[in-house]
Amino acid sequence: MTTLTYTPPTFRNKLSAALAETRLRLINVTRYPGQLVMEFIIPIVFAAMPMLLGQATAGDDAAANFAANTGTANYVAYLLIGANIFSIVSSAFWHIAYWVRFEQETGTLEAVFVTPTSSAVLIAGVSMYSAIRSTGTAIVAFMLGCLIFRVNPFQGDIILALLFIFVGLIPLYGVAFVFGAVVLKIKESQSVLNLMQWLVSFLMGIFFPVAVLPPFLRFIAQLFPPTWMVNGVRSALLGVGFFLENWYLDMAVLWAFLLFAPLFGFWVFNRTQSNLRRNQGIGQF
Amino acid sequence: MTTPVKIDNLQKVYLTKKRQGLFKSSVREVEALKGVSLEIERGEIFGLLGPNGAGKTTLIKCLTTLLLPTNGRAWINGFELTKQDDAIRSTVGCMLMGERGLYWKLTGRENLVFFGALYHLPPAERARRAQTVIERLNLGEIADRAVETYSSGQKMKLAFAKALINDAPLLILDEPTNTLDLPSARELRAIVRDLNEQGKTVIYTTHIMAEAETLCDRVAIIDRGEVIAQGTVADLKESISQETVIRLEGVIPTQASTAVSGLTGITRSAITSVNGHNQLTVVTPSQTAVLPQLIQTLSSHGAILQKITPEEVTLEDVFIAHTGRTLAEDTAQ
Repeated sequence: MTTLTYTPPTFRNKLSAALAETRLRLINVTRYPGQLVMEFIIPIVFAAMPMLLGQATAGDDAAANFAANTGTANYVAYLLIGANIFSIVSSAFWHIAYWVRFEQETGTLEAVFVTPTSSAVLIAGVSMYSAIRSTGTAIVAFMLGCLIFRVNPFQGDIILALLFIFVGLIPLYGVAFVFGAVVLKIKESQSVLNLMQWLVSFLMGIFFPVAVLPPFLRFIAQLFPPTWMVNGVRSALLGVGFFLENWYLDMAVLWAFLLFAPLFGFWVFNRTQSNLRRNQGIGQF
Repeated sequence: MTTPVKIDNLQKVYLTKKRQGLFKSSVREVEALKGVSLEIERGEIFGLLGPNGAGKTTLIKCLTTLLLPTNGRAWINGFELTKQDDAIRSTVGCMLMGERGLYWKLTGRENLVFFGALYHLPPAERARRAQTVIERLNLGEIADRAVETYSSGQKMKLAFAKALINDAPLLILDEPTNTLDLPSARELRAIVRDLNEQGKTVIYTTHIMAEAETLCDRVAIIDRGEVIAQGTVADLKESISQETVIRLEGVIPTQASTAVSGLTGITRSAITSVNGHNQLTVVTPSQTAVLPQLIQTLSSHGAILQKITPEEVTLEDVFIAHTGRTLAEDTAQ
């Protein structure tokens, strides 16, 4: 009697599949070079608007006024950091939501879901791609912005700033998975993304310190990992001050998010996927 | 030896929303599969036939783990559905949505290597396997071009190649010749036959009965979520061998075809429109006995007949004998 046997994939197999997913997406994006160029420019334009508005309204006192409210006179770097971290956050939502929606429409979502690679591995692959793409473009855009507006990009504790970004990315993708689940369920990404972008940009304080928000909104803002990310980077580079006075306490909060958010996000995504399998399937769009 | 596919009373009910104006909608239950039971033997090409919407794709989606069945059990390659889904996925090669399901910005080879990775093939093996499949399907000339530059037929061929990348013992092909021209469809069927001769079991869904007749060892006819007949093509034809078929062409008004269905001596009748002409297919135990009254009834109801042909039983006639409808009629709906 011949019976087929099944050997579950090893961690190495899973990692290889996740890296293949990452590689596929990186190859894909290189076929749209114009889009990559735009990604370098957009955060600079985004930061330039409040910068020029500030200079126009506050004149020569712009830096001093800014320092009085934020803790740094370097408003150019402050706004560039805000715009670029927002670009990373926005990309995380876009890439996860767009992955789900685009692949639903093209039929590739079903094609990958009939393979033995689990959705957790696929999501990990997409997240790695998104993190590489968005962090890479944000760092280049920050340097370019500093060059254009003539500020020194190499100031403060760069290693600590990068650490805040990399630790913050993991819970950020946890939140993005929840968002991906919503798109999977409602089969629409554009309107949800637009709403989310405005909410996130407001709450994480891309152009202002969240300390200026009313207490309730400040509390809501601090439940969101990117708020800690952006403040951590600003504090490391510009010395604006950590929320909990010391960098390691702020970092500990991000680690708490890190332990909880990805698991919660994946649980929601998986649950939504199972519910869809129970009805008309994930490919229905 | 493990039976490649065993399905026991599989049911699938899903909810659909019926729109009632701008904001109101009501939810209704659709019973897409009504207790399907099948057994597919190793090394056979098994045809799943039926009109569009019959439940073929729902059944295929359940078997490939994309949908959860509402009730019933199934075993694929010996692994139980819903309990050993990863094992099922790794031992099945699927072509489910034709040319969809490919990354159009990537080359054919990049697509194959990527899917190889998702089937957990080691890196060197992915490249080797992709090359083997490319050679097998004569895709060498286009393999390193972006898929978006392919013709529809070439995309279908690549989608078929994707189903072969994991060298699975069971292939599930859902309408693989859709959108293919005749020579390409014939070529693909020849490859399926060849793969079958090398030992692969194939589930092949189609709504083209002639395709099933030429390719499949056994078939199941699905209609409205139920298997209404199954067996070898010869067996199914034999099952209505006491019947004969008359095809009548011309201008046949609805009232004429309705009147025919009430005549004694007629088992089933069904009408289709081909190029503005109607074709009435009548299944009857005795052509000679019913023909005079058949012609008389049609004429008296305004039909103008141009051609009357007694024909051999086909799978299409088996479908008509069981349902009283033609496949073309159902597919058009």
